[in-house]
Parts: sequence; structure tokens; C-alpha cells
Amino acid sequence: MLRAQDLSVRRGGATVLEGVDLALQPGEVLGVLGPNGAGKSTLLGALCGELETDAGSVTLDERALGQWSGQERARRLAVLPQSSTLSFAFPVAEVVAMGRLPHDTGRVRDAEIVDAALRAADAEHLRGRSYLALSGGERQRVHLARVLAQLWPGGEGQVLLLDEPTSALDPLHQHTTLQAVRDFASQGAAVLVILHDLNLAARYCDRILLLQGGRPHAFGSPDEVLQAEPLRAVFGLDVLIQRHPERGHPLIVAR
Amino acid sequence: MRLSKYLLLCGSLLFSHAAAAADLPQRWVSSGGSLSEWVVRLGGEGKLVGVDTTSLHPQTLRQLPSIGYQRALSAEGVLSLRPDILIGSEEMGPPPVIAQIKAAGIRIETLSAKPDLETLERNVLRLGELLGAPERAREEMAAYRQRLQRQADWVARVREKQQAPRVLMLLGHAGSNVMAAGKDSLAVWLIEHAGGESRTEHSGYKPISNEALLAMDPQVVIFADRSLHGEEARKALLQQNPVLQQTSAARDGRLLTLDPTLLVGGLGPRLPEGLAELSAAFYPSEQALTAKLDR
Amino acid sequence: MGVLLLLAFWLSLALGPVSLPLGDTLLAALRLMGLPIDGEGLQQAELILGQIRLPRSLLGLCVGIVLALSGVAMQGLFRNPLADPGLVGVAGGAALGAAIAIVGGSMIGGLPPALAPYLLSICAFSGGLIVTAVVYRFGRRDGQTNVATMLLAGVALTAMSGAGVGLFTYLADDATLRSLTFWNLGSLNGASYPRLWPLLLVTLGVAIWLPRRASALNALLLGESEARHLGFNVERIKLELVLCTALGVGAAVAAAGLIGFIGLVVPHLMRLLVGPDHRVLLPASLLAGASLLLLADLVARLVLAPAELPIGIVTALIGAPFFLYLLVRGRA
Repeated sequence: MLRAQDLSVRRGGATVLEGVDLALQPGEVLGVLGPNGAGKSTLLGALCGELETDAGSVTLDERALGQWSGQERARRLAVLPQSSTLSFAFPVAEVVAMGRLPHDTGRVRDAEIVDAALRAADAEHLRGRSYLALSGGERQRVHLARVLAQLWPGGEGQVLLLDEPTSALDPLHQHTTLQAVRDFASQGAAVLVILHDLNLAARYCDRILLLQGGRPHAFGSPDEVLQAEPLRAVFGLDVLIQRHPERGHPLIVAR
Repeated sequence: MRLSKYLLLCGSLLFSHAAAAADLPQRWVSSGGSLSEWVVRLGGEGKLVGVDTTSLHPQTLRQLPSIGYQRALSAEGVLSLRPDILIGSEEMGPPPVIAQIKAAGIRIETLSAKPDLETLERNVLRLGELLGAPERAREEMAAYRQRLQRQADWVARVREKQQAPRVLMLLGHAGSNVMAAGKDSLAVWLIEHAGGESRTEHSGYKPISNEALLAMDPQVVIFADRSLHGEEARKALLQQNPVLQQTSAARDGRLLTLDPTLLVGGLGPRLPEGLAELSAAFYPSEQALTAKLDR
Repeated sequence: MGVLLLLAFWLSLALGPVSLPLGDTLLAALRLMGLPIDGEGLQQAELILGQIRLPRSLLGLCVGIVLALSGVAMQGLFRNPLADPGLVGVAGGAALGAAIAIVGGSMIGGLPPALAPYLLSICAFSGGLIVTAVVYRFGRRDGQTNVATMLLAGVALTAMSGAGVGLFTYLADDATLRSLTFWNLGSLNGASYPRLWPLLLVTLGVAIWLPRRASALNALLLGESEARHLGFNVERIKLELVLCTALGVGAAVAAAGLIGFIGLVVPHLMRLLVGPDHRVLLPASLLAGASLLLLADLVARLVLAPAELPIGIVTALIGAPFFLYLLVRGRA
């Protein structure tokens, strides 16, 4: 279990993250929402050890993140960044196979996992293509498959951090991708996902953290957090809250 | 046919090594312009089988296989000429290559390129011995010394009557930027022994600024161009360096051209003639030393 | 690729300005391997093969391997297929070291004779190492190495080294100037065993060590933080890559002068042929780098024989058009 206690991060004198307490629960998808500059990516960076914290601690299974060896940690914690800088013509399958680098499960098992992860991310048909020939959205799904492969098949004790995994996707793939993430979580992994789309968060997240100016503004179930008051306070946006006619989760409509 | 040629080649290689120890070397490779020229002067041109890139005079040497630049020789390249002896200055190299050539049983004769008469005499006499012409070497050397002596006397005599002209030597290549000869260069040695005065302060060959050129105001400019000669070189020089028009040398029409091969690698056999020519140009009113220029 | 290298190696042993009968070459080669063959009439072949061509071919082998592998390492480190081993300043530093040795050495004179023949190599090697260390230092901040800063520092320090070389060029007399020019174009000429051993050791180290980092290099191509998330100690790997390049290129340059093009183009070529996966790319570049260098040296030795061409000219002349051809073909 990944737990953050009283996290705060300062950059150049300004506090960009302060007073964040959270624990990622097995099988749960935690959504992080907030306007630009609210500290969402900073939070993710602090949670995966990429950014140094000025106060507070991050522990994975009661052990400080820094005390894990790189390989051990990589088998438990996978991170999907917003964009990737890969500019070499790897075949898609090889990109996904890089997710297996921390493991030594053998060639055969790795190939099976790569296939399964590609299927999960709906990128199976891209398998033999060159990464450089893909569109932005296709690349994003390939990287999702890569981080899924890194933790595959997913289970209790594993943590997946996703930074806006749907930013480049068409509407259909926004849903298939988040559904894949949900399915993955249902195997027992804890997932934290940064999102911009309030309705996607309402539909796929178990809990939502609403950040404003680096501080948690609201934290709870979608029903608790996605209300007109906090959303106006955080986004400055007037919204109407409805119910999804079939699924019953909140549906947010701008006024 | 090919094979027999190879066999012959190998056979002669082995044989020539054995012969070299007792006999005089028959196949010569020379590295260094003036050394090659001395070999030719002593009647050894027929023995030369290869020369370096600085061996440009006489013209016939350019027909021989070139072993490249004297500081970047190739061991196998030299060996492929099957020489008995390799002569060159202490600049010949690189050292590991020289060691390899030596290990292959080739005699290596290092002759100093220091520009003084004692060194030259030692070199010439040594070449004479190796060529089997010691007598000729002694004669050539005596004549050489004599001519240089006459040259020195002539300059001394003239200097009593006239002031030495300010002389600047420029080295160029087909209109590229020119370099001025400075202290320790053979060019300045030439100027001074021909009775001129060099005012450059730097050593070696360096680019010179227009202002420095004007300040120096040379009365004679000597120009050595590796690819252009005579009137052509003169024109190119003035075109590239219009500031030269402002010097006394250009106003008085005293722009001389010089064969740049004279300047390569120590004191060559043509030096006395070159000096005499320069002297005649420095002091046009005097009776010149050489008949050739006595016009 | 392996066959190509074997062929190149054999050709570089069998051919040279001195034409040896093939039979003699074979027999002499066998004798050098310690087989009891009658040495009668083989002295010449044995000398040329054992003392001139073999050390030279081995030198070419090492230089080609090290330059190509360092190229792969740098292109991986900078995540840029146009990176070149010179980017971290090692070539510029080595050139400055060489200029100091060539020009300064001729000015000072009186060096201990035991040291003098190695002065150039030592200076070039240390020059490369020092400048690379400075470049690396500039890239470090808060315990992390910023590759982009390092790249810019490399450019700046290479320019500074260039200015230093220019200064020494100005101070040099004619003869040393030409030595400097020739050194800048590289040559395998004059290879001998005592000069070969250090490079052989470094090459062995680099050739064994780098392929073990193939996976890390692959991960690094994803991005530094991605590589960290995959469990790699990225800071250490970056240091190791820079160190590898500095040692390898430094030693190669010290032994054979500046030979351009191999480090840039061989990895690029191989990537076009075998793909970007370092597990394949590294061995392929190793073989191709060595082959290309040996063949280039063969041309350098033969084309102007008995003189020879600086090899840097040949590598560029052979490689550049081939590279262009592959680029055009790749686009079509």
C-alpha cells in the first residue's frame, strides 16, 4: 500500500504542494482533479519518488520509498507520465516489453504478458508497427500497455500512477482505457489517476481528491466531491449536477 | 608469370639485404627536399627509387613514387620500394614507423637539417661516401663554400657603400592569404645573407596585418608562390593584398618572385645561385656576381 | 556481420603496399600462431605480417569497436540519433591535449627519452578525460545530471578547446603545424604492440561492459524518469556511459588521432539495419565499426602507396555517401 503523510513540496520558495495525506487502497481507483497548476503532477512526482519532498513521507508497504531498491520498487510501482520522449523506431511490442525489464520471468512468459497488456489497452493491432509511425493517441495506449505489463497481472500490493492517460484519446478510447484501468484495479492493484474530465472521473473513480493551489480542497467519493460548491471554488466554473440516467453517478454540466 | 615476379621480388629482397651490409646501398629513398637535391647533385639520381613530398627539385624527382610527408611515413609503403637505405632529417617520422623500417633491415641515415655550413659539410661528405663518390662530394662542397664566401665578401663590400634595403618575404599559395617570413626561417637567413634586412619580429611563417606591412614599408618584397610563377604571381599578390601598392617596394617596382623549393629542408645546392640572384635584385646598381643576372 | 569483420580483418592482413604471395601470408600467419612450419624464406612475410600489419589491424579493430560503441552510448544517453562521441567534449579535449604535446613538446624539448614517444598519447588521453569531466560536472545539479545542460556544456567546452588548439596552431612552426594537421585526420600508421596494449584493455572493458547495459540503454530511450520507474539507477548509468565514452574515445584518439564519422554513422547505419534495440544494436555496431575502420585503413594504405592517406579522410569519403544513400532509401 502506498501511503503519503503530510506531504509538502516547495519549489524556488513557493509551496506547490502542502498537507496532502492519502493512502491508496488495493482495488481502488483514486482520481486527482484540479485546475492547471493545482499541484496534480507534483503530487504524482512526489508519490513515485521523482520529486524530493520538503516535509512528510511516502511509504510503500510501511517502508520509505527511498529504501526500496530500484528493481524491487519497479515490480510494485509503475508510473505513466503525461508524454514520452521516445524518438527511436522500436516495434510496439518491444516498447511494451520494456515494462518487463524489472522482472526475470523469462522470454515466454514476458511475451504472453506483452500480448495481454496490449489487448487490455486495445492496442493489439498495433503490435508489429513502428512506434514512430503511431499517432499521439496510439502512442499513449502503447505506453499504458507498457506500464500494465510492468505490473501484470496486477494484484494486491501493486501501485499504478497515471498522469492524464486519456489526454490524447478519442472519446471511445477514453472510455476503453479507463475501463481497462478499472479492470486492472479489480485484480487488487491500487491506482491513482490524474484526470481533467470531471465526468470521466465521476464514472471511473472510487474516490476523488480535489486539489487547489497545492492543497487538498475536498477528498471523498464522487458523490461527496463532485458538487457545485467545491467545483465552483476550485475551477471557478458554475455547474449543474445531474444523475447519469443508467448508472446513477453524478453528471456534471456547465451552466 | 605473376608468381615468378613475386619470387624474384622476394629473392632480390633477401639478396639486397645481404649485399647492403658489405656493399654500397643501391636503392635509395630520400626524405627531405635539400637532401634529395644533394643526392642528385652528387650523381645519385639513378639510385633514387622514392622521395618524400618536399623533394620537388629537380622536376624529374616528381616522377618518382612519393612516400608522403616526411613526418608521416608509412612503414610498409617505404618497404614496398625495397630500398637499401632511407635518408632523411631528424624530422623524419613517426618514430615507431622508423623503428619498423629499421627492424626490416633497411639502413637508416639521419642527416641533420640544421642550417649551418659545418652540418651541411658533414652531410654532403657522408652522402658522397654512401654514393661511392667521396671525391665529387669534396669538390662540390669546396666549390659551395667558395661561392658562399664570395657572396659574403660581395655583400660586405656593397654594404660599405650602400644601406641595406628593408626586405620582406611573403609565402603564398595561389592567391590564398600570405604569410610573412620571420626570424629563424630559412627565408630570413637568405635575405640576410643576400645583404638585405628583415624587420619581422615573429618566428616562423605567420600572417601579417596590413598596418604592420605599411609600418614596415619594405623596399623589396620577395614572393614565393607554390603554384603561380613570374608575372602571374605578382599580379595575384597585388590583387589579394592591395595594401602592398602603398609600399616603397611596389612604387619602385621591386616585387621579386622566388622558387619556393629553395626554402624547403635546409641548405640546398642551389643556395649560392639563389643568394646571388637576390643580392643582384637588392643592389641593382652594383656589378652582380652571377653572369646570368648580369644584364 | 561477423563474416564481414573476419573478411575485413583478413584483407587488412593480406593486403598492403608490399605485395606478398598469398601462400606466404598464410604460412607466415600460421607460424605467428605458433604452428611449427618451416620458416625458410618467410622472414620478410613474417616481419611485415607480425610487426607491421598485425598490430595495425588490431589497432584498427580496437579503434573501430570503441568509436562505434561510444557512438551508441552517446546516442542513447542523449536520446538523439545524431549524437556523436565528441559531444561530451572528449574529442575536443584530446585535440587540445595533442596540440599541447605536439607544439609544446617541440618548444620545450628536453623530455626524458622514455616518456617522449608516449607524450602525445598521454596528453591526448588526459585532455579528453579532463574536458569530459568538466562537462559532466557542469551537467550535475542537486545530485542529478542534466543531459541537456551537459550537451550545451560539451558544445561550449569543445569550442574552448578549439580556441586552445587555434592558439597552439598560431604558435606552431611549419613542421609542427603539419604534424598537428595530420594528427587531426587520424592514422593507424606506426602501430606497435607497446602502444596497442592499453587500448586493447580499454576496448575489452568497453566491449564487455556496454552490452551488459543494453537494457538500461533501451529504457533510457523512453526517458530518464521512465527508466527510473523501470528500476534503473539512471544517475549511475549516465556516469558509466560518460566514463565509458571518455575512456574509450580518449584511448582510441590517443592511439590513432581523430577519426571522425565512425562514432556518428556506424550506430545510425546499424539502427537502420537491425533496429534500435541495444541488445542487437551494440553487437552489430561493434562488428560494423571494426569492419568499416579496417576497410577504410586498407584504402588509406593502398590508394596512394607507397605514401598513405590519413584515415579520417577515407572514413568520411566512404561512409558519408553510403549514409546518404541509406537516408534516401529509408525515405522512399
